[in-house]
This record gives sequence, structure tokens and C-alpha cells, in this order.
Amino acid sequence: MTAETLMNPNLVALKPTDSVTTAADLILQHHLRHLPVVDEQGRYLGTFGIYSVLQLTLPSAVLKQGLENIAFVMETAHDLAQRLRRRHDEPVRNWLTQDPVVYPDTPAMKVLQLILQGHTSVPVVDKKTRRLKGIISSWNVLEILMRERA
Amino acid sequence: MHGSEAGAASMIFGLNSMWAAAILFVITYAAVMTEKVNRAIVALLAAGLMIVLGILNQEAAIRGIDFNTIGLLIGMMVIVAITRQSGVFQFLAIWSAKKVQAQPWGILVMISLVTAVTSALLDNVTTVLLVVPVTLLITEELKVSPYPYLFAMIFSSNIGGTSTLIGDPPNIMIGSATGLTFNDFAINLTPVTLVIMAATLIPIYFIWGRHLKAAPEDRQRVMQFNEYEAITDSRLLKQCLLVIGLVVAGFVFARFLGLEAATVAMTGAALLLLLANFGHDAEHQSKHVLEAFNEVEWITIFFFVGLFIVVHGVDGTGLLKLLADKMLALTGGDLTATAMVILWSSAILSAIIDNIPFVATMIPLIKAMAPTFGGPEGLMPLWWSLSLGACLGGNGTLIGASANLVVAGFAERAGQPIRFMQYTLLAFPIMLMSIAISTVYLYWRYL
Repeated sequence: MTAETLMNPNLVALKPTDSVTTAADLILQHHLRHLPVVDEQGRYLGTFGIYSVLQLTLPSAVLKQGLENIAFVMETAHDLAQRLRRRHDEPVRNWLTQDPVVYPDTPAMKVLQLILQGHTSVPVVDKKTRRLKGIISSWNVLEILMRERA
Repeated sequence: MHGSEAGAASMIFGLNSMWAAAILFVITYAAVMTEKVNRAIVALLAAGLMIVLGILNQEAAIRGIDFNTIGLLIGMMVIVAITRQSGVFQFLAIWSAKKVQAQPWGILVMISLVTAVTSALLDNVTTVLLVVPVTLLITEELKVSPYPYLFAMIFSSNIGGTSTLIGDPPNIMIGSATGLTFNDFAINLTPVTLVIMAATLIPIYFIWGRHLKAAPEDRQRVMQFNEYEAITDSRLLKQCLLVIGLVVAGFVFARFLGLEAATVAMTGAALLLLLANFGHDAEHQSKHVLEAFNEVEWITIFFFVGLFIVVHGVDGTGLLKLLADKMLALTGGDLTATAMVILWSSAILSAIIDNIPFVATMIPLIKAMAPTFGGPEGLMPLWWSLSLGACLGGNGTLIGASANLVVAGFAERAGQPIRFMQYTLLAFPIMLMSIAISTVYLYWRYL
């Protein structure tokens, strides 16, 4: 079994210039935790997901300076929402996370390991063109395995 | 000891050992300055060559290592490694900001004082590493520029470090080589560093401080920070404060107790390791002890080890004695002139080069001047000149001290980079002002 068997080829992807709000809407609408971001040629640039949105409610000092403990910051839901609102027009390319990618012929075991280690979805790209071919989430894997059982 | 350990007459590749040592020494300095190769590698390699080339034998090389400095550094590093886990640094920063009702200028003064005091007792780099992120969080909440705060923190960490025996590596080396105690440093250096700290805040106020303003609602958000939540482990915190208290008491009473600084620091580290691990199973203990040891800055430690050997090799050939004589000839053997030359040249050189190799070289050089100034007692003003120059000089440029570079790294990530020239243009004159104050102080008190 390879990555190609596990992947979902029906992609919902973001453009790097899409705003944080657009991304958040898509995440909620499709109930997708991780959205791949691709350039005009369809090449994989990074991932923007629900954790990226939640991160943006935190002060920059936490995001960029590695403050380990921020329990002392006493904020209201309003404060957090305010901060997110200030960043809602920013393009998602400013906040991409780089997930390890796999190729269509990557063994399924390797894919499972990546999903479990990173608690994320795994993008599948073409080896030569780097074009995004599909994405493998923990849901895809479980669905396929349940079908197999039947 | 000059000339006694090295065969001064022996020849290496047709050079006498003095010149071989001098060339090796200059290459070491140059290699450390260019930073192409890690400084610990450079120092260890040069130390190895000192022995391989026959300038020193291994026994003499080991005698050259000042284990009191090494022990003091490692002991304090272990104590800091454990203490930082308690969250006390963050607590202090938030607590001090709230004490001044989160007013921007008040916070700058308080954070500078917290940085200075902790740098005086603990390592400068760790202090800024832990206080800068909280400061950036506070300035973000207040919507004020972090630049003046970071600038002030660089200065206060170096000024604070100047004030005690354990504050800065040059002082540790000077104290260890001369037998000057914690109290000697406190009595002779702390007063002038207090004046310098206050004087440094004046230009910072006029350049930035008076323009710093924050909206009441933003200040309110900082006032709502709960500093007690910053303490991640209150049992550990109490243990750390107890041990730091005991260690400082140990330094204060070191002479009375007949103890060297390294013994105090190392025993303190061992006690803190015991308290923090007491009652835990063997696996937990191994993990935590290893974590604490991993935080010791081994690069710095091995840099010191290598340098001590290199400088000892050079010292043994009589080269430093020769340089000391040249310097005395220049100053006419006058104590005031010699002190001033040492103070100002250490300050300017320490702004550009690493002050650790510089001080390591200056120590035997100054010791060689003892006969001219009536024995070791007469050298006192020169030691204080060296300490003030080498420690405060580090403020002059962004590369003057390791803490400066750490702060600059944070500033870069915060999107407010501290540019080398932009920093130097302001910092160098303020550094020179601190040296001018030191000049007046030294003149008034010792010369």
C-alpha cells in the first residue's frame, strides 16, 4: 500500500494571497483541520489550518519569541477575538507551517508514522513538478481501513 | 614563574619559543575574532599546539588552567539552569512592571533594574534570555516600540555584571587570579556601577523615554497579568532562592570561612541538585541531573580552558613581562597614567573584541607590574581599571558582549532589528560616558 491509495485527491486548497478570514471560513465550512496552500502552478507551499487560526489569537511575543509559559496573561474572549480581527486581512502565506511531504509511491507505513508524529495531514506531491496531488488525513486512513474490514 | 616552565632557549622550526608562542597567540586571537571557526575549537587547538610544539609540557599546561574560575562558572551555570525552570525571571519582570502601574517609562526603569540586579548575581545571557520575551510581550500589549527597552537591557545587563565578583567572566577571572573577594568587588565596584546605571538612563530618557506613551486600556491589560501564574513550580522556586541565598552568603563570608569561590558555587550547585531531585526515583534523577548539566555552556568552559593554557604558555616565555615593561616605559611607571591606559584601552578593545581572551592576557601582564608599584597591594587600582574597562566596554557595540547578541536576536525576530551602526552610534558614546565616570571614580578613590 502506498500514499496514492490513502490520499484524497479532491482538494480544497488555498492560494498564498487568500486572507486569514477566507481560510477560517473554508475550514469551518468543510470541517477540514488542515488546508494545503498552493501557488498558481499548483505547487505545494505549506499548510494553513485550524491551529494556525487559533495561534493568531495569541500575542506576537508568544508566537515569535518562544515564551513557554503564558498562563499569567489574563485575557477575555473579546481580547483574543480583537487580536484575530486585527490579523484577519493578512495573507495566509505569512503564517504557513511546513509539513513533511510524501510522494505517491511513498509506503503507507511512512505516511502513518508522519501523521502520528506530527498530528497533522500529509500532503502528497509529484516528485518532479512538486504539484500537489492529494492530501492524507487521519480520517482518510481510518475510512479506508474500516472499508477493508467490511 | 616566568621562563621557568618553558625552555626559553629551545628552538622550534628555527624560532625561539618566545616567538613561536607569540605567533601562536596572535593567530589564536585573530581566529577568535574572525569567528570562522568556533572559539572553543580555536582555543583547544591552540592549547594543544602549545604542548605539541614544546612551549609547555602537559603538567605546566594543567597548572595554567584556573580551576577556580572554571568551577565558579560551572557551579553558577548549574544553579541558573535549575532556577530558570521555576519561572522566577518572568515573575520579576511582570511584578516590576505592575509596581509602576504599567507606565511605559516606569517599566523601562524597572526592567533595567531587574536585569541589572539579576545579571549581578547570575549569568547575563540567561538573564536577558528570560526577561526579554516577557518585555516584548509587555511592549506589545502597551503598543510601544520595544527598541528602547532592549537597548536599556543590553546596558543594564553589562553594568549589573560589572558590579560583583560573579557578575561577569572578567571579574571572575580577576578575582580568581588575585584573591580579591566578593566583598572587595562589592565595596569597590558596586558604588560606581550604581552611578553609571543612573547616568545611563538619562540619555535613554531624553532620546526615547519622554516620548513613550500608552493608552489607559492597554496599561490595564498589563495590570491584569497575574505574575503568580508565571511561577511554574513554587517548591522548586523556594529551593532555588534558599540555595542562591546560601551561595551569596558563602561568597560574602568566603574569606572568613577560608573558602574559594569555586567551592561555594559548586557546593551550592550540588545542594540544589540534591534538593530538586530528593525523593524522586533513579530514572527521574538521572534525567534531571543530565538536563541541568546539558545547560552548562560547554563552549565557554572549553574556551576558557584552552585560553588559560595559551596565555600561560605565552606568559612562561616572558613575552607578557616584556609587554608590561614596554607599557610601564610608556606611562613612565606612573600609577595614574597606567590605570588610565588600562581603563580606556580595555574599554575600547572590549567593545570590538571578546573581553575574555583580553582579560586573560592582561592578568599576567598586570601581575608582572607588581615590583614597580610596590607589590601586589599597589596593583589594586589597576585591577579595578581592568574590570571596569573590560566589562563596561562590552556595551560599546552589538558584538561587545554575548548578551548583546542575544538581545539583538530577539529584536530581529520581533521585527525591530537592532542595526550594528545604528546601535553603535548611540551606544558607543554612552559607553564612553560610563568610562569617563569610572575615570573620575578611580581618580577620586585610588589615585
